[in-house]
Amino acid sequence: MTQTTAGARPGAGTTRHVEHLMGMPISLALRGRHADTIRGREAWDAVVDELREVDRVFSTYRSDSFISRLGRGELGVDACPPEVAEVLALGRAAEEQSGGAFSVTLPAADGRRLDPSGVVKGWATERAAQHLRALEDTDFCLSAGGDVVCHTAEAARGPWRIGIEHPHDPRSVIAVVPVRSGAVATSGTAHRGAHLVDPRTGRAPDGVASVTVVAASLTWADIDATAAYVHGPDAAHWLESRPIRSALVVWADGTITRVAP
Amino acid sequence: VEITVAGDRITKVSVLQQPNGNPKDVEINDYALPILVQDTLGAQSADIDMVSGATVTSDGYLESLQAALDEAGR
Repeated sequence: MTQTTAGARPGAGTTRHVEHLMGMPISLALRGRHADTIRGREAWDAVVDELREVDRVFSTYRSDSFISRLGRGELGVDACPPEVAEVLALGRAAEEQSGGAFSVTLPAADGRRLDPSGVVKGWATERAAQHLRALEDTDFCLSAGGDVVCHTAEAARGPWRIGIEHPHDPRSVIAVVPVRSGAVATSGTAHRGAHLVDPRTGRAPDGVASVTVVAASLTWADIDATAAYVHGPDAAHWLESRPIRSALVVWADGTITRVAP
Repeated sequence: VEITVAGDRITKVSVLQQPNGNPKDVEINDYALPILVQDTLGAQSADIDMVSGATVTSDGYLESLQAALDEAGR
């Protein structure tokens, strides 16, 4: 399903697209020269096609994906597309930098199971955004299930305003962060079936309702948001050591901590 | 550097270091902290382009804030 609506806000000239993939909405806002051109439309189609291909390779919900077959030991990394090795390397770096709070292998009944989806979403969205970045004099704001990457080609159009969802009331916004070029990622309890567990213990972390990270790269914003969430009561403290722009931690009791390393 | 807020009360403050220099500079602006809605305006009137959240899935999409934004085509 694709839905496209043209800009109504005076002077904004924002065009929007939405498509559902991998169980989540992929939303795009475009403004500037190619907001409403065929090239703009083709760039959006390329984003969707690329994310669909990523899902075919990386989905843990598809038994025939490369990742599922790799996890079952039916093939090696060498037999997979090169992106698989790239994602696994990112996963290893993330595990190292988070003291094990982030991992692409999670405890399972029979040892550990391979699940790189914590890397894939941010990484794939950032990578797919290259099609939009190629549009001259065009600003974009792309969200894959709440992980946002944006770019502003013309400063006069102002920053994108990203609303941070209230973890206890998803219909409202708890904070707004203006971003010209960069990424915003949020991790929390309600993430696709509450599958966020501490890779070291297999248990759901507590103390934190949601963590939002603003950073240059969506790949790392997403990884750091997830790792901080797993750090529980240490989330804000841990984020202070990270190369991020800022972060917002909403604790389980509703209090809020803003972090600016 | 942290600010902790409970309800509408700031319960913990460390020195906030905002980057110095020309506020119009693109890079500097991108180091803005999230602005708490309770400090400024109601959530309903918060002017936003996109939603970052942990519950943005297709299941609850039709009821979501993101869907409202996508439909509004602002």
